[in-house]
Amino acid sequence: MDINKIQNLKNQAISSILEAKSDRELEELRIAFLGRKGEITQLLKKIPSLNSSERKEMGQIANDVKRAVEQALADAKKAEAVKKIDIDKEWLDVTAPGKKPPLGHIHLVTETIKEITEIFTKIGFTRVAYPEVEWDWYSFGRLNMPANHPARDEWETLYIDKLKHKKYGRSVLTPHTSSGQVREMEKRKLPIRMLNIAKCYRRQSNVSHAPMFYQFETLVVDKGINVTHLKGTLDYFAQQYFGKDQKTRIRPFHFQFTEPSFEVDVTCTVCGGKGCQVCKGGWLELGGAGMVHPLVLKHGGIDPEKYSGFASGFGVERVLMMRHKIPDIRLLFGGDLRFLNQF
Amino acid sequence: MNILVPDSWLREYLKTKASSKQIARGLTLCSQSVEKISKVKDDSIYNIEITTNRPDCLSIYGIARELNAILPQHKIKASLKEIPEEKREIPQVKKSLPLKVEIAKQSLCLRFTALIFDRITIKPSPKIVQERLEKAGVRALNNVVDISNYLMLELGQPMHTFDYDKIKEAKMILREAKEREKIVTLDGKTRKLPQGAIIIEDGQGRIIDLCGIMGGANSEVDQNTKRVLLFVQTYDPMKIRQTCQTLAFRTEAAARFEKGVDSGGVILAMKKAITMFEKNCGARVANNLTDTYPFPQKEKKVTLTQKKLNYLVGIEIKLDEVRKILENLGFKTKLENKKIEAIVPHWRYEDINLPEDLIEEIARVYGYYQLPSNLPQGKIPQQTQDPQFEWENQIKHALKNWGLTEVMSYSMVSQTQLEKTEIEPKGCIKISNPLTEDLVYMRPSLIPSLLTIVKENNQEKITIFELANIYPYQGKNELPDEMPMFTGLLTGNKFYQAKGLVEAILITIGISDYQFEPYQLKQTFYGKAFHPARTAEIMVKNDSLGVIGEISPHVLARFGIKGRIAVFDLDFRELVKHASRAKKYSPISKYPAIVEDLTFVVPTQTLVGEMMKEIIKLNKLIIKVELHDYYRNTRTFRITYQSSKKTLTDKEVEKIRKRIIKRVKMKFGANLKK
Repeated sequence: MDINKIQNLKNQAISSILEAKSDRELEELRIAFLGRKGEITQLLKKIPSLNSSERKEMGQIANDVKRAVEQALADAKKAEAVKKIDIDKEWLDVTAPGKKPPLGHIHLVTETIKEITEIFTKIGFTRVAYPEVEWDWYSFGRLNMPANHPARDEWETLYIDKLKHKKYGRSVLTPHTSSGQVREMEKRKLPIRMLNIAKCYRRQSNVSHAPMFYQFETLVVDKGINVTHLKGTLDYFAQQYFGKDQKTRIRPFHFQFTEPSFEVDVTCTVCGGKGCQVCKGGWLELGGAGMVHPLVLKHGGIDPEKYSGFASGFGVERVLMMRHKIPDIRLLFGGDLRFLNQF
Repeated sequence: MNILVPDSWLREYLKTKASSKQIARGLTLCSQSVEKISKVKDDSIYNIEITTNRPDCLSIYGIARELNAILPQHKIKASLKEIPEEKREIPQVKKSLPLKVEIAKQSLCLRFTALIFDRITIKPSPKIVQERLEKAGVRALNNVVDISNYLMLELGQPMHTFDYDKIKEAKMILREAKEREKIVTLDGKTRKLPQGAIIIEDGQGRIIDLCGIMGGANSEVDQNTKRVLLFVQTYDPMKIRQTCQTLAFRTEAAARFEKGVDSGGVILAMKKAITMFEKNCGARVANNLTDTYPFPQKEKKVTLTQKKLNYLVGIEIKLDEVRKILENLGFKTKLENKKIEAIVPHWRYEDINLPEDLIEEIARVYGYYQLPSNLPQGKIPQQTQDPQFEWENQIKHALKNWGLTEVMSYSMVSQTQLEKTEIEPKGCIKISNPLTEDLVYMRPSLIPSLLTIVKENNQEKITIFELANIYPYQGKNELPDEMPMFTGLLTGNKFYQAKGLVEAILITIGISDYQFEPYQLKQTFYGKAFHPARTAEIMVKNDSLGVIGEISPHVLARFGIKGRIAVFDLDFRELVKHASRAKKYSPISKYPAIVEDLTFVVPTQTLVGEMMKEIIKLNKLIIKVELHDYYRNTRTFRITYQSSKKTLTDKEVEKIRKRIIKRVKMKFGANLKK
């Protein structure tokens, strides 16, 4: 057998395959070379008759040739298949509506609570929740509110029927998250950085007040806590939640359980602080704050000579209404899906 | 409480070049907030919100006093002008008109002063008085009545004028009202007096004054009045408040009395009244002053150390500055050994008690706005957050992504809502003073609220959920155990979708060994509100996680809801208890699985879940049993066999298959469909 002849046969086969222009031509070539009577097949058939020294060498060469030709054929067929694809026939109307998975909605209050929690946990606060149905003791008494304080009025606070405790007094729907202050102190774990988020209730209903609402309350008790720390925490929150250009200010105010007490304002989110219809001279009221009253610390078992603290309590709905420009708080709790499905 | 302060009136007592804007800013940042400035002609009117602890600011003079301390801190000169009457004497008369006063209980009236004027001519007040009253929001009436209103606004001392000649026998008895007494007040209304209200009766037993709130019509000053009895009193604030509350009636005077009026300021107001009576009415003092003041204020001293001041404010304020601030506010001070001793002025007597109270005075006038902002420095507390908050977020977001909408409804429900849902209101926590009839009971389930939302939305396809507390009653001395419930609702024939959601939630939070069992306890609320034949209890080990089922058609009919509704009602604490983030790796088998479908013909009411449980238990090589088809009385299971050690042969599978068929026939009476 002649090696050159074999090589020629291979070259001839491969060049014919490369020149072939259709599947049919390729098939004809396959038969011509690799078919039962094909030239390469014929060649391979002769190998057993060679003498042993030739047989090994020639056998290997012939098989290599066969494989190379088969590969060339397979490649050419694939190329032929690619050519046949008619892209234009694949046209799709990409403007027809997509098939969405069902879309649900998380309530704005949930989103806001999550965001507030993230903001405060970054600076070491831990989220807690205390009872909504609470004793007068925690909601008022331990917060330094005398027996006849106006907050206890029947038209401010909702009372529970026939539920009283000898020591803790009447039971109420807590009107503020401050009821958690003394409960937190009673855990006897200092220092404290508490974030209490819970439902609160008051006996009123209008565009900015719902009978049920959420408050978020911070309480920090440690050695060396002063007014500047309250200011720093308020600024931090306002910038994180409303944006980095936001400022806060504290004004004198009065609460029984803080001294000094403040009302907290934030730069108006509508006019950016220039002054407009919505705000008071460029400021919007955020809520109340103050330095924990020494008697409240005492009530919580903390020595006011060694420790001091600050607290703030804001409405969750209030901050989200400011941000999302929602005109009536009652929309949030009304269950109207046309509203809820917007968020 | 808000007051209106005309700028021109304020400047009668405050000498300053501050603009009205500067005044408003100073007050807002350091004292009482100015909510609005309105222009009236050439004057500005400040609308100021006065906090409840500062009744001393409920007057023109009180505001001037504040500004006297505040403006200098803003580098604006200001000084408080003296009231000329401070120096005048109350005239002594030789022939004093009679007035007999009896006070039944000393605690009702801390200070009682009265003075009679004669030779009165009733006419309109001078123009300046009328104008000022109007700017401050009070209607001018006549020269006598205007004096009492004017001085209430200017000095914060409410006062009342009687026609002296209408007080029978010139006698006044101040006492508490008894049951069933009545008075016709100046506004012409007959008012039933609450027991304990402070009143005055005259010598003939007629009630002539509802003290601190409004005078009686029978002793009113009118066009013909010639002699006037002027009253400047300090009443027990609590008493006034209770009476106002019971009557649901409050006047400008009452609003001041109930917050506490400065008993030390009574005489000055009386003196100024004398001047005005002389000038505006041509009147003359006609008796010697009655002044009953059994327990005058004692001197009150509060001491503050510099250390404490700096500690709480966070910066150092120099003692000289502290002294200046306190003295401008009316305190008398003594500095000694880094201590400040302050004597509280009479108008702040009730409000200033502790060193912290002094700190507030100093810091607010110094200016909170001048303090820096710092984050707390100390150690971060080592507390772990209750895991329920994180699971809550995770489940809520999962449900959102599966197409549900989160709702939040009020924790309070109406009696009707409860009754429609087969819940006995008697067993629920009830509000004694509800705002409306819709918000009376603390809900023991979220289901009444969710059904109401379905009814009110009137939409075909509703898929909602809520996570909120319920408030099961626990006894008379105990607060309710506030249980968070995760409740979802799907309208339409969607039991299996709802069940699938529950299963998906459980898998998402790492609970895999759950069971659904037909609900047994028919007498419970669940047994009644839910469809008795379409409700299951969700169990993990021996704990119940809640129920899933369709709402009873009776309940739906009462709500007026058409079609079916599926609800899952999960005890969130139980979910959290069993939830886990632990994941377990099991090696992926190298050997192929064999999958085959087996169809059985089952008797009616055969529980397919039980069949599947039974099949998977039979052999370790059965790694999965799925319900492939559910049609009439046939159930097709797709069974996957796989070994981790070798490729299973037909013979091995056949052996297991035979066991399945035998077992299913034995236990459920179901035959393989050929």
